[in-house]
Amino acid sequence: MVVKPLNRHERILRELQAIVGVQHVSDWPEVLFLYSWDFISAEKPGTCEFVVMPSSVEEVQGIVRLANRERIPVIPWVSGICTAGLCIPREGGIVVDLRRMNRVLEVNEDDLYALVEGGVTWAGLVGYLEEHHPDLMVGVPWAPSGTGVVPYLITTGFGDLGMISGTGGDSINGLEVVLPTGEIVKCGSCMTSQYWIGRWPLPDISGLFVGWQGTTGIVTKAAIKLYPKMPVRYYLLMAETVEKGYPIIQRLAERSWTLGIADIWFNNYPFTKAHTGSRRLKLDEVPLDPDERVKSGIPDFSAGIVVFAPSDELLNVHEKAISRAAIDAGAQLVPYDEVMSSMPVDERAELPLASNKPIHVAPAWLSTPRGGGGIISWVGTFLSHREVPKFYRMGVGVFKKYDKHDLFYGRIMMHGHHVYARHIMVCNKDDPQDLETMRKAFFELDDEIRKNIKSAARYHLSPWASRANLSYVHGPTLVLLKKIKNLLDPNGLMNPGHLLDTL
Amino acid sequence: MKSAELYPKEYLAGRGVTKKSTHRGDRMEPLKRFGGLKDYVDVLYYCIKCGQCRSTYQEKGRMRVCPSGELRAFEAYYLGGKNLLLWGLARGEVQWSDRLTHLLYHCTLCGNCAQQCQVPEIHYYALDWLEAAREEAVKRGVGPMPQQERYGKHTLEEYDPYMEPHRDRWSWLRKEAREELPEKADVVYFVGCTASYRQKSIAAATFSVLKKLEVDFTVLWRNGFDEWCCGSPLQRTGQVDRAFKLAQHNVEAIKKAGASLVVTSCAGCYRMIKEDYKERYGLDYGFEALHITSFLAARVKKEELKNEVRKRVTYHDPCHLGRHMGVYEEPRKLLRAIPGLELVEMRRIKENAWCCGAGGVVMSAFPDLARYASDKRIEEAISVGAELISSACPFCWRNLQEATERSWSSLKTLDVIELLWEAMK
Ligand code: SF4
Ligand code: SF4
Repeated sequence: MVVKPLNRHERILRELQAIVGVQHVSDWPEVLFLYSWDFISAEKPGTCEFVVMPSSVEEVQGIVRLANRERIPVIPWVSGICTAGLCIPREGGIVVDLRRMNRVLEVNEDDLYALVEGGVTWAGLVGYLEEHHPDLMVGVPWAPSGTGVVPYLITTGFGDLGMISGTGGDSINGLEVVLPTGEIVKCGSCMTSQYWIGRWPLPDISGLFVGWQGTTGIVTKAAIKLYPKMPVRYYLLMAETVEKGYPIIQRLAERSWTLGIADIWFNNYPFTKAHTGSRRLKLDEVPLDPDERVKSGIPDFSAGIVVFAPSDELLNVHEKAISRAAIDAGAQLVPYDEVMSSMPVDERAELPLASNKPIHVAPAWLSTPRGGGGIISWVGTFLSHREVPKFYRMGVGVFKKYDKHDLFYGRIMMHGHHVYARHIMVCNKDDPQDLETMRKAFFELDDEIRKNIKSAARYHLSPWASRANLSYVHGPTLVLLKKIKNLLDPNGLMNPGHLLDTL
Repeated sequence: MKSAELYPKEYLAGRGVTKKSTHRGDRMEPLKRFGGLKDYVDVLYYCIKCGQCRSTYQEKGRMRVCPSGELRAFEAYYLGGKNLLLWGLARGEVQWSDRLTHLLYHCTLCGNCAQQCQVPEIHYYALDWLEAAREEAVKRGVGPMPQQERYGKHTLEEYDPYMEPHRDRWSWLRKEAREELPEKADVVYFVGCTASYRQKSIAAATFSVLKKLEVDFTVLWRNGFDEWCCGSPLQRTGQVDRAFKLAQHNVEAIKKAGASLVVTSCAGCYRMIKEDYKERYGLDYGFEALHITSFLAARVKKEELKNEVRKRVTYHDPCHLGRHMGVYEEPRKLLRAIPGLELVEMRRIKENAWCCGAGGVVMSAFPDLARYASDKRIEEAISVGAELISSACPFCWRNLQEATERSWSSLKTLDVIELLWEAMK
């Protein structure tokens, strides 16, 4: 019998099967189609050759070593929905879908952290805590429950305990990472002990993996900070305009540590529309212009304020102080429950119940009757408090030109030490023209921000935004970044096409 | 205010999916039910692959819901993946192939995914397009799965999918007892293939209960108006023309018996007769259809249940009875009425009930999926300390029973009606 030699594809397939098991590798075009893009951003699809689902760090190492030998790209993947297409395989290769590495390995109630595997989703972590540690909570982003915890951490996402815990990056207590060359490294106290209690005192090398867009390694374990659950109240603060409303929450943020405020997020009109008589208005009936909205009775600014305290007495005291601040500034503070219960039952879930839960309603916001069709993306930035209103008007202006509604969203974090804001657009993924409109509007707004918002530290993960961002980076620092990348990923195989690869 | 107060749970009329607070009644264009794939192409892409269809969201613990996806893990096995594949198909980016057929048929059609999805169109109609995709696969000659084609053919010849001869259909009932039954009666007991050929004890118990309650009933054994397979295994695998022939025959047979009501043991038969015959096929019939548990829940009196059944029993909601048709309470009502019986609930129940693995006719084509799902269900039953798992469907019974045996536990499987007969006899 003549044995036909295997071609490259077949050889890699066999080797992957040997590493993770036959049933955990696929090269079926139908299966790969679902990994070719994220189905939620306007980024163009890519292609990959294999998708593989490891179940252990050793298997991840095996895949990465094979990839190095064969010089084939590796794309780390958890849920594959990133509003900037971060997980799109842009240069082919092996998608490493971590969803089988989905265990919560440890919850340390004394030191307040959870140690999770790289593929844990919000449903997985929150569900585990609800069941086994109901007195603990974790800051959760406004993301669907099937999205990943680790991607949130390493792309510095924004969670609903942001005033205490900062961004996702700030919530990390330690990481275990498989480097692009296959070695395992540890970041934080876990370098020297069994405990994942913090990132110090040895050099904090977690920075080699946070903000690098998955181009420097595959995170296989992460420790995330937890907090004790306490009695909580939610409020909605409404003001006529962003100019009037924003300074109030900025002041509240500065005092947040004395007022028990764990989270402040802000929006333009969706919540106020819901709370006013205009709740039955379809989105396309809401004026595009903020001033027109105000004229038609829809206040254009709302903020969610989440307050924790160990007792109801203390909550009452905080409530009084926050109400006073709001009233003195001409705003309205309404208990969130009141907002919700004033609405017809069939519309309530359009507003999330702000309580450390992933957002199960997220996909409902995006379907066509809301002007969507399954695509949501944004242009956003970290910026100075001073420039938030200007940033708002800028985005509204650009979106209006393209006849698009602007959903404004932001969070103030770490007691006011940083603020992040974004202009969100929804569009229809079945309509190429709509996708093109989104892209054009985003490029234009991005450009405007760079030119006119002096404090902007841009935050968008798609390659076009990275390229523009990097052109602003301080020269010698950019050289250092490149050296680091080359050191960690000498063959340039890890999530290619992103960050430094865009230069 | 608690979340339950803000989002009161209400089921859609005639179905066991919740009327979501994302209902957006005034803003969602109603879609056609039981349509073809083309009727849904404009909503498939609302899916954002967010993964909410993989776990519950209201209950503590965020429990997993999709047997197909949990077993194989690739996105293509979850609802989100299936939606987007069908969208890709409509755009020409995905082609019909045996692989696509495998993906579309690797699903129990349990509907737990759609229950969790918050996009109203997907929440209400996803099962319709999952079935429409199978119909399309059959039309194009790439579906159903080979095993399903084999039994489909047999069903048109011998009127059962179990590869059994039609003459054995009534082997569960003594000839004399059968002949004693009237030709015409107010109620027809539609036994279904599984209770006729496999779980005969369920048919026997149902027969005994109806007799004991002196119901004016008959079964369709007489030549010319004899019971055939209801067609559910064919309809669920896209073999709609074959299923329709069976439906036409059964409607005629029931009509000939002069019944005003047909009751079924099987959740699948119930859905078929009550919903598919009427609404999908547009068959005009003048009788009502009820699942046997609904019929008996309204009829059985406490004093008729005189024997104690001292057992800790859990109840498994059959998908076709629960999520598909909205019958959750009646089987529980019957169980609660049995003296001595303690009903303990599993964690995934009613609209969130984990499928037993028998649905979507996967047992023949994907036995590993059927085994995986039933093993998980049995683990759950054991974890709540049940001595006995009951259901209201012979098809579920069968798959659960096999898993019970594999579990090496002392857990037993019995149908609700078998338990009821224990208490009545
Ligand atoms: S079907 Fe619904 S829940 Fe599932 S991925 Fe799509 S949008 Fe999300
Ligand atoms: S119907 Fe059931 S098996 Fe099929 S995709 Fe939905 S949850 Fe999974």
